[in-house]
Amino acid sequence: METSYETIIIGGGVVGSSIAYHLSERNKEGIVVLDKKFPLSGTSGSTQAWVWVHNKTPSWYAEFSMYSAELYPYLSKKIGDVEYKRTGGLSPFFSELDREKAERLAEAYEPIGIKIKVLSREEALEKEPSLNPDIVGATYSSIDGNVNPFRLVDRYMRAAKKNGVQYSTYNKVTEIQKLPGKFIVRAEKGRFECKNLVLAGGTWSRELGKLVEVTIPINQLRGQILVTEPLKPFLNYTISGLRQAFNGEVLIGYSMEEEGFNRATTLDVIQETANMAIHYVPSLRKAKVVRAFSGIRAMPEDGFPILGKIPGVENLYVAAMHSGVTLSPLVGTLMTELILDGETSIPIDRYSISRFA
Amino acid sequence: MNAVETDVLIIGAGPAGLAAAFETASRGLQVTLVDESKSMGGQLVQQTQVLSSLPSIYQPMCGFELAAHLSRQLEDFEIRYLLGHRVIGFYKDGSVGITDEKNVFPLRAKKTIVATGASENAIAFPKWTLPGVMTIGAAQTLMNRNFVQPGKNAVIVGSSDFAMDVALQLSKVGVRIRGIVEKNTGVKANGTEKVEQVRKIGIPILLNSSIKEARGIGAVSEVDIQQGEDIWTEKVDLVCVDGGRSPILDIFYQLGCSFGHQEELGGWVPQYNNDFQTDCENVFLAGNAAGISTQGALLVTGMLAGINVCAALGAISKEAVEEGKQSLWKELESIETRSNLKVWQARNQHIEKFAHPVLKDQFIS
Amino acid sequence: MDKSTIICRCEEISLEEIVEVIANGARTFDDIKRLTRCGMGPCQSKICNCLVAGVIHEQTGMEFHQIPLPRMRMPISPIKLETLATNSTTFSSVKSVLDEVELEDGKVK
Repeated sequence: METSYETIIIGGGVVGSSIAYHLSERNKEGIVVLDKKFPLSGTSGSTQAWVWVHNKTPSWYAEFSMYSAELYPYLSKKIGDVEYKRTGGLSPFFSELDREKAERLAEAYEPIGIKIKVLSREEALEKEPSLNPDIVGATYSSIDGNVNPFRLVDRYMRAAKKNGVQYSTYNKVTEIQKLPGKFIVRAEKGRFECKNLVLAGGTWSRELGKLVEVTIPINQLRGQILVTEPLKPFLNYTISGLRQAFNGEVLIGYSMEEEGFNRATTLDVIQETANMAIHYVPSLRKAKVVRAFSGIRAMPEDGFPILGKIPGVENLYVAAMHSGVTLSPLVGTLMTELILDGETSIPIDRYSISRFA
Repeated sequence: MNAVETDVLIIGAGPAGLAAAFETASRGLQVTLVDESKSMGGQLVQQTQVLSSLPSIYQPMCGFELAAHLSRQLEDFEIRYLLGHRVIGFYKDGSVGITDEKNVFPLRAKKTIVATGASENAIAFPKWTLPGVMTIGAAQTLMNRNFVQPGKNAVIVGSSDFAMDVALQLSKVGVRIRGIVEKNTGVKANGTEKVEQVRKIGIPILLNSSIKEARGIGAVSEVDIQQGEDIWTEKVDLVCVDGGRSPILDIFYQLGCSFGHQEELGGWVPQYNNDFQTDCENVFLAGNAAGISTQGALLVTGMLAGINVCAALGAISKEAVEEGKQSLWKELESIETRSNLKVWQARNQHIEKFAHPVLKDQFIS
Repeated sequence: MDKSTIICRCEEISLEEIVEVIANGARTFDDIKRLTRCGMGPCQSKICNCLVAGVIHEQTGMEFHQIPLPRMRMPISPIKLETLATNSTTFSSVKSVLDEVELEDGKVK
């Protein structure tokens, strides 16, 4: 096996694979993705996979998310069907206090081009008749949607491989050494060399950073998700908290727990999530839950992506974030620009790791 | 919701679970017995064959007789029966979530004995998903529990002792068995008498053979059997497959127990020690869940798990535990070395590896 | 075995599809599941688990003890949402999106 590369990307999840793919569009040679297990075995394979913009805060982060969401239709043309659906996103609310929040949100986002409608109860129920008639209203934006995360990562990976990218899986990186002009990366299956090194370790970013003596402040935040049996298509929109997939399954969940790397599910949260489902969409009562799963969010300490060069170490890059599914098309594009051109078409200074220094 | 409390929770009311219930309840412990079926006895209920190699205290009897006996011996004790109830998962504090199909409620046990039994493995060939293709266990259930004749003309794929039993029972209810198809060079069953009986009533045992393909519209109507170079077609409306059995592991997995692999015990098996205790301190196991074995051995493992739980809860004297354990292990050895030496050896190997499981920490990513 | 043989009957996944993703680097049941949906249906891999292990063994030469169990999940068998649901209307770990929008001086933070 060849061991000398132009670029090594550590992590083959949605972020790492998107970077690999976008980089390979321009630079066909010398890219390898190292993954400790197999793409989709981490967060990318355990998500509801909303492509979600409309109530991200603050507005500049929503704007960044919007640019990424806008890339999805083109991306699907390039890498193949990823079951991306721009359904529009609905966030129902149940109190007048939340209407106040919603109105302010809509006002704040108008200048940046994200149109948020604050729907009355009647308008919301007209759009999504299955919602609980007790809602007070909902926010709505047409830009939101969802994607099949398995398809997405698989397509990134296949397209990247077609462009010459190699994947070395079940190959955990154990040591990284910086020498003048190159990195030596030691992994379970051997030794690799490269000029550029990209850390895209998702939830494991902090551990990965330690190998290069850089603190990447990513924590773990568990979410538990329920999946129903396939139901007749009946939900029109991506509802914050639940969505219906192509095959009719409904995915439900919006829980947050600090449990480190523990991916167990618990009946406590499963039952609460069942309550939420029925609270939002009462007709789900009779639907059977066939499985529950946990995903661990890669949650930066301040919630925003950590993206770009790592100051002080030449040719070392990091891409670690929550909402990797939403952001992956843009992050792949911008990281490619940064690595090949030294600058990005959309500024990413705000997301630099240096903000934590 | 406040959890219901119990000393001992036994999950599974098959032979092992019932044996464990007797050991624990008869020593004064408060026992809760849960099973998704409304009746007790598990798979015993449809076993009409005489069970060989039962523990020495038992007369030879059929499965359904044994089930009745095991249920009857619990009658003197106050046991909380949760029949027709399912375990659906666990709460963060370790309580088990049980449903009566109306609600889910928590139950907290000092010790749990998991006796969830085994499931049958599938065998794949083109069109194995057609109706009329089923496991031998499913065919037996149709015949002996639902009193439905599962077909008129059948082939059986696999030649274990269980397959021989089912072949004989099917013949008895008038199903014509066109052949027992075995991919290996020898018959798998250990019981030579049964194999003789099968041969005697004219059922061909086809070695080195397999199902090449099934065909049918809406249901199976014929199969191609391949033996060496020869391929021929049999008109059948029933294909019974015997892919072996494996322990049912879901509950162990959710509890965070570790696993080891022993082919002779059915593949992946929860890791356990001499006391039939898993590496989760409060979780014990018994029966086929601890490795596929014969009915007699399953009873003994249930008794062993039961008295070890009594010991852990101080419901039995030290001397009585030691004595009981010793004699039960002897009984287990005697049954398993007689009926299937390889299972006995695999069980011992498995126990030796208690501290070195192959799969552990399955939820830590 | 013929390539078209169904391995996962719930999701109708064929041997051919499974062999293809193994050739693409998948090594465990869970890898195969995520790429093909094999084992994601109502039986939650209870039926196809041993068949898939057999295919992995044949294709890669991995021994059975090297092929880990598929991840098992709650609920241990399917259950209606209304049966799972409790009467509680308070949420501790479960949130709504607007919970995360904070206002400061009448403006979105």
